[in-house]
Amino acid sequence: MSNYFYVAPEQLIRDRAEFAQKGIARGRSIIGAIFDAGVVMVAENPSASLFKISEVYDRIAFAGVGKYNEFDRLREAGIRWADGTGFTYSRGDVDARALANYYAQHLGDMFTEGQKPLEVEILVAQLGNRIRPTKLYRIAYEGTISDEPRFAVLGGDAETIKARFEASETALEPLVTTLKNAVGALAGPDRTIEVRELEVGILEDRGERRTFARLTDEQVSELLR
Amino acid sequence: MGLPLFSAHDDPGPSFFHYADRAGLTAPGAPGTALSAHATTVIAVRYVGGVVMVGDRQATGAYIASRDVRKIEPADRFTALAISGTAARGIEFIKMAQLSFEHYEKMTDTALSLEGKANYLSPIIQRNNLSSPLFVLPLLAGWDTAHAVGRIFEYDGAGGCYERMDFATIGSGTPFAESTLRLGFSADLTRDQALELGALAIYEAGDNDPSTGGPDFVRGIFPMMVTVASDGFQELDADDVANRFRVINERRTQSGGRAEGSLR
Repeated sequence: MSNYFYVAPEQLIRDRAEFAQKGIARGRSIIGAIFDAGVVMVAENPSASLFKISEVYDRIAFAGVGKYNEFDRLREAGIRWADGTGFTYSRGDVDARALANYYAQHLGDMFTEGQKPLEVEILVAQLGNRIRPTKLYRIAYEGTISDEPRFAVLGGDAETIKARFEASETALEPLVTTLKNAVGALAGPDRTIEVRELEVGILEDRGERRTFARLTDEQVSELLR
Repeated sequence: MGLPLFSAHDDPGPSFFHYADRAGLTAPGAPGTALSAHATTVIAVRYVGGVVMVGDRQATGAYIASRDVRKIEPADRFTALAISGTAARGIEFIKMAQLSFEHYEKMTDTALSLEGKANYLSPIIQRNNLSSPLFVLPLLAGWDTAHAVGRIFEYDGAGGCYERMDFATIGSGTPFAESTLRLGFSADLTRDQALELGALAIYEAGDNDPSTGGPDFVRGIFPMMVTVASDGFQELDADDVANRFRVINERRTQSGGRAEGSLR
């Protein structure tokens, strides 16, 4: 006879949440913020090839924190979903809200039914146009989805970083200011982050269909000067 | 369509075609009788700093179905893709190629090499042509960023991919266009010379092949002319194209429709 002990559902949820939070807290944080001409995502990332920020579609970008293999698989699924939807319908029908909902459902399912919850948090950003607004959707490890009006901070130290960023970024600013504020908030008062340890991606209209751009170290240095 | 997640052992990787196939987004070919006339002429010519592509605009069934079809499209920034054969399959093919190259780039954060793009299309052509009478035959020309050179890849009906070092043609006007190119090609063509030779090849094809549309001065519809070089895919503007065909046409009018022993 096997021994199964009763565990209250509240306890189970608490344990799973604690497990996921611990995993997420091990990684560095990300800020996604709306600036006056688009969306900027800033990550502290010592690797120059294992990215946390990615293009998903013409006006949609992705950022993930936590376990790399877990959020990278979600990133790939998002790109497949977006390209498949655009292929089936039209490019204009690919909507970030739908993608964010799929992520939320999947994370929610894994949290309650999976072997273990995914140790990730996801940010889906959309650059607005005439028919869609600029949006930041944050999806937590247990599937909670929130629509962030100005900015979102993901990762272990989110509350502290959020407070710092909120204090410095009081209005809609140009990219230079928003990026400086984001880097300042990620670093905190006692530390500076080297440019090569920063990963920066933006969504911005440049008169082309694709709006995502990964900023080079030179571009970031120039903006932070 | 839900979130397309795969486990590591059966992940389709960065290939959109393989994913689309798995997800049932593409329809398999069905046997039947051939419907399409093989009507089009598109040529590609290498020149010193890149590749030129010129293509007619006419869609032909039993009648002329359309006079302003675009048979050349950018597959990505450094690649031009032209189609001949069944319009429906050709359009889907271009869409699939465009999406696949971009998909690969987003999934892996690196662009495919030009040779990689050319090879990628082989099995797609093979599957279409060997399983369906709705034939499609493309022509790929691009700027190889790694080797800083323009390159041309042509295909046979079974998907075989062959690099051409000089020029290539597809479509029903091939005999006429190809003859012109064979006589006029040299390895040291400039961009302007390659454009002129390409325009002349399409002019000849339009003049001799009923399913190829030459310059249409009445409607102001002219063949498409593009270049792919280190600055990427560039389509010549309508006035520039019109002038090039007007010059050829005036020469021919003066000589009573004869080339008179030279490429003119």
